[in-house]
Amino acid sequence: MEGLFFNVNAGYVEGIVRGYRNSLLTGQNYSNLTQCETIDDVKLQLGPSYGDFLAALPPNPSTSALAGKMTDKLVAEFRYLIAQSTGSTAKFLEYLTYGYMIDNIALLITGTLHERDTRELLERCHPLGWFETLPVLCVATNIEELYNSVLIETPLAAYFKSSLSHQDLDELNIEIVRNTLFKNYLEDFYNFVNTHPDFAGPTQDVMSEILQFEADRRSINITLNSFGTDLLRPERRKLYPEFGKLYPEGTLMLSRAEDVEGVALAVSANADYKSFFDAVGLSQGGGMGGMGGGPADGKSLEDLFYQKEMEMSKLVFTRQFTPAVVYGWMKLKEQEIRNVTWISECIAQNQKERIGNFISVF
Amino acid sequence: MSGAVGREPVFPTRQSLGIMKSKLKGAEIGHSLLKRKSEALTKYVRAEITRRIDEAKQKMGRVMQIAAFSLAEVSYAVGGDIGYQIQESAKQARFRVRAKHENVSGVFLPQFESHTETAINDFGLTGLGKGGQQIQRCRETYARAVETLVELASLQTAFLILDEVIKVVNRRVNAIEHVIIPRTENTIKCLYYHPPSPDVAHSNPNTDINSELDELDREEFYRLKKVSGKKQRDVAEADAEILAARQKAAEKEAANNTPAVAAPSTGDTDAPDVLGEQEDNDVIF
Repeated sequence: MEGLFFNVNAGYVEGIVRGYRNSLLTGQNYSNLTQCETIDDVKLQLGPSYGDFLAALPPNPSTSALAGKMTDKLVAEFRYLIAQSTGSTAKFLEYLTYGYMIDNIALLITGTLHERDTRELLERCHPLGWFETLPVLCVATNIEELYNSVLIETPLAAYFKSSLSHQDLDELNIEIVRNTLFKNYLEDFYNFVNTHPDFAGPTQDVMSEILQFEADRRSINITLNSFGTDLLRPERRKLYPEFGKLYPEGTLMLSRAEDVEGVALAVSANADYKSFFDAVGLSQGGGMGGMGGGPADGKSLEDLFYQKEMEMSKLVFTRQFTPAVVYGWMKLKEQEIRNVTWISECIAQNQKERIGNFISVF
Repeated sequence: MSGAVGREPVFPTRQSLGIMKSKLKGAEIGHSLLKRKSEALTKYVRAEITRRIDEAKQKMGRVMQIAAFSLAEVSYAVGGDIGYQIQESAKQARFRVRAKHENVSGVFLPQFESHTETAINDFGLTGLGKGGQQIQRCRETYARAVETLVELASLQTAFLILDEVIKVVNRRVNAIEHVIIPRTENTIKCLYYHPPSPDVAHSNPNTDINSELDELDREEFYRLKKVSGKKQRDVAEADAEILAARQKAAEKEAANNTPAVAAPSTGDTDAPDVLGEQEDNDVIF
């Protein structure tokens, strides 16, 4: 019964995404890419999947230009999807863009705080996080105006409202603002997929799992990255999303953790995270410098998280009648862009020994 | 050569000869000192600076490569451009350079010392959500790279300054060796003639026999010789007169054979009687 009427509204979008999925680079493609000697070769290898988007690139482009063009393709495809979708699927796709919006707003707030020309900031904004009133942010000269006239109209206003007021925007570090927004966004997204009647069934199952993982990953990363900074523990706790596999006991322990061992203890209740920490912690002695993953063994905690995320995104495609495939496809595509950027960086800098350090799931 | 070198425009006097001699001595001492300085500096540059520059440059290559690669790691982990955010959140310099002086053989070389203000941690929270560790590590790597650059900068500056100083010193050494000393020597030669062996004098026309003091000497000598010749002639004449007078007297004595008592009388007659009546030429009145 659950998928009976799905295809009426969202069948086309799902079909398109499944088609997009087939153009993702496979292990064979990656092994071809790693054999390349120049960026031009990489460009040639990417030809089948990226084709006309790379055609405008000059010979031997910079890696950032290459990544930019690849992102352009992702954006173009996503815009097509969002244009084709209706109803709850459209809402779901909009939720996907909120993450980029948060990044863009953080960027603009940073620029406004330093009284930069916001016009040049707009060029740096991620196109997926673009919303209609974003250029209006240029007009706002101070933070209060920014909040009252612009942000209040955006979908993100709710995230501001619940935890931040315009007074906070001046004083708080922009990273804390960003992470607070992201926490609120994740909670809202989680709530959305779990309460919306259209998503009962596969979407709810798969997205809950992914979002829980995302929340846990953020909590763990924030904890690890806050060591040695002046981020206090009570403030840190406010940044943890209030759901996920670690919530509430794990996040409470995370908020009390003082070092990597504390984090490892906090996550030990979950078998997945425990195995990540064991893989990283044991191989590197669990030291402070080891938690990010030294260059020695190649895999860092971050890499393992990415790997896990990619596997989950891949598994989304085993489900049918769900817009969650769009989420999975976007994450896979982003990882692919990162992979290609990494490979071309390695080629450009002639550091072939770590070229295999990317994540490929197909 | 001495023709090209010329000589100092001094009056040919003994005093200026003395001055020239002390000048020559001074020039020689200065020459040896400057030469030693130049050698010391050259040795310092060759042994110390060049070697260390070489090391630093190779190290820089490695470190910059690692640093650039760590930036690639950051962009992989964060998955986006964080450059703008970093630029905006950096308010105070964490990595600072202090300059001080070092004295090498009288040359002041600037030396740059880098140090890190650990209290300043402007973008400590960047990448809080993801990639924070990569960013911190990248920062450390770049701090090391900049450290190497600072080291290299102080070496390069030292090298440039030393190069300049060595050039100047060498120019001075050469000027003293090839201009000042020959000229002073030439001047001295002109002023004062050391009697060389005749063949040397002939073989080298530049050995100025006509040197002025010598000429003066010879003129003086000639004058003195003339004077003494004149004097000798005068003395000889006087002697001859006295001799003739004595001979005459002896002949007279022998001819007259006068008694000895007569002798004083003849003396009386010979010697003019100043107290006598005869007119004195000297006395005018």
